[in-house]
Amino acid sequence: MAAASDNRPADPILVVRDATRRFGNVVALDRVSLTVPRGDFVTLLGPSGSGKTTLLRIVAGLETPSEIAELSISGQDVRGIPANHRNVATVFQHYGLFPHMSVGENIEYGLLVRKRPAEERRRRAKEALEMVRLPDKYDRRVHQLSGGERQRIALARALVTEPDVLLLDEPLGALDERLRRDMQVELLRLQKSLGTTFILVTHSQEEALTMSGRIVLLNHGRIVQDGSPQDLFDRPQSRFVADFMGIENVLEGRITELRSRAAIVSINGAEIVGCPIPGFAPAVGEKVFFAIRAERLRISDSPALSDENLNSVRCEPRLRIYKGNHYDTELETPVGTLLCRQVDVGQIPESGYALWEPRHCVIGPLDSATRQS
Amino acid sequence: MSLALSGTALTGAVRREELMLRVGKTVAITFGCLGVVLMYGPVAWLALMSISERPLTGKPGPFTLSWYEKLFADLRWLDPLLTSLGIAAIVSILCMITATAVGRTLPHIGRTGAWLLLLFLLVLFIPGVMLGVDFVMFYRLFLGIRTGLWSLILAHFVWAFPFALLGVIVVAGRFDTRLLESAADLGAGAWRRFRDIEMPLLFPGILSAGFFGFLLSLNELPRSIYLRGGATTLPLFQWAEAASHTTMVPLIYGLSTLITIASLALTVIALRQLFKGDAA
Repeated sequence: MAAASDNRPADPILVVRDATRRFGNVVALDRVSLTVPRGDFVTLLGPSGSGKTTLLRIVAGLETPSEIAELSISGQDVRGIPANHRNVATVFQHYGLFPHMSVGENIEYGLLVRKRPAEERRRRAKEALEMVRLPDKYDRRVHQLSGGERQRIALARALVTEPDVLLLDEPLGALDERLRRDMQVELLRLQKSLGTTFILVTHSQEEALTMSGRIVLLNHGRIVQDGSPQDLFDRPQSRFVADFMGIENVLEGRITELRSRAAIVSINGAEIVGCPIPGFAPAVGEKVFFAIRAERLRISDSPALSDENLNSVRCEPRLRIYKGNHYDTELETPVGTLLCRQVDVGQIPESGYALWEPRHCVIGPLDSATRQS
Repeated sequence: MSLALSGTALTGAVRREELMLRVGKTVAITFGCLGVVLMYGPVAWLALMSISERPLTGKPGPFTLSWYEKLFADLRWLDPLLTSLGIAAIVSILCMITATAVGRTLPHIGRTGAWLLLLFLLVLFIPGVMLGVDFVMFYRLFLGIRTGLWSLILAHFVWAFPFALLGVIVVAGRFDTRLLESAADLGAGAWRRFRDIEMPLLFPGILSAGFFGFLLSLNELPRSIYLRGGATTLPLFQWAEAASHTTMVPLIYGLSTLITIASLALTVIALRQLFKGDAA
């Protein structure tokens, strides 16, 4: 086996190094590297056109990279090896079930081309159906199934070949809300019980947060942040990450003062205290973004006391939206419109103050990964 | 002033509407029936003549099966029939193979495909007799190919191919090529992807290509006149006999009737096969 370099996990199931894919003048994927340890559940997250699906298809062998320094699955170099000789399986958003075959034939197809005997194929197909909780659908035709059932059959068909890596390309995108939540749980359960490495592509940050222990966020063909859901949610490395992860209040200002592990940002005459993200050492006068999540804000009818060490800006509550288990209120403030999320709603004053703690206000660089040459 | 129609005006409007609908329906049915009579009338009349005592008078009756008895006593038509069936079978197979090879590609190569399709179909607009002459000029006089069975097969194939191609293209255009990706992803090589996924799903089109090839070849006359060499196909035989005012003419009526019935039966079986695949 090839010697692994020291910053890698001992036994990575997938190594991608410097993958680039160009379509004419468009760079869909720009020198992307990714190492996945065996048994992980990794999510590739990003807006459409960010290159996440291209990366997945390169791993599957359905797309040929323009350049790639390394691509190995289970320690085996698979560059130039076609999709049908790679031990990975994909669950497509369009399912890709064969309409002229029964459910059983669909599931058995991967075993059929691997020349497994008929009784083994049948046994394993039945087990796979059991696994996705559709034990009595073996003889059904594909068009008799509902969307959610097709999804499960596609999953069973991919898993029955026991792939090294299961690739899921927006597999839940075509399902309705309720079914999607059920399938998320189902996928998590399966991944845990099988221990197979899952790589999921999605454009939904909510799905990414729910599903995986590691999120790789892409934008314009590059990885902009790679970390745990908490990392991306609480410590966004760039304005793009903050926006994309759904942090409701992202504003821009200029650094006026630096303290130990804190910085003061000035915006429209207001001074806001926040914490620079790890690894970011801003200079005084630098333009930065700062981000506060809506549920960290609270509305008070008096400003914060000086010893409370809270940020506080005057605000006028505007639109209030009922969201079922919480209320969102838009606050007009000197620094811009802020969104405040409250679980129980008390009296809201005509005008008041929006308060939040400096540790809930992250400060990050403006130009990181938002531009590229 | 009210914009709404009064009760009687409304009933009037509804009546007019209903009348128009009824008139439209009647016209459609009339023309439809007229079309069917024009198409199948001569065929039915021919069948009627074939069982009439004096068919050349053009009046039916009294009825007899004697012409059929004579037809089966004088088997000169059997050789041309076998020749025609043989040529048709070969043309049919050629059509299935080539129309599949071309038809599966054209819908998926963008503008080039559209231009190529036009090129393949344009040949349909050249009159058959002219094409026959062209063939003789080009193949025999210029390329030096001997006329005979093989030149007939070639001409029939060129004639039937555009139709066969249309049959495949209609199905291939609806074929979801992403299924081939999922098959590759599951481990299937190029040949298995074609055999297991693409061919079964294109099969109705391939089958119709075969039937087009078979039937168009079986009934082909204008090109065959020039390219027959020493060979005689059934249409050539029928044409020659029908034109020759011999005693054979009434027999041709019977023969044509039998061929028509066989063709119709074949077509019905083919269509049932096609739609059986769809309903599954």
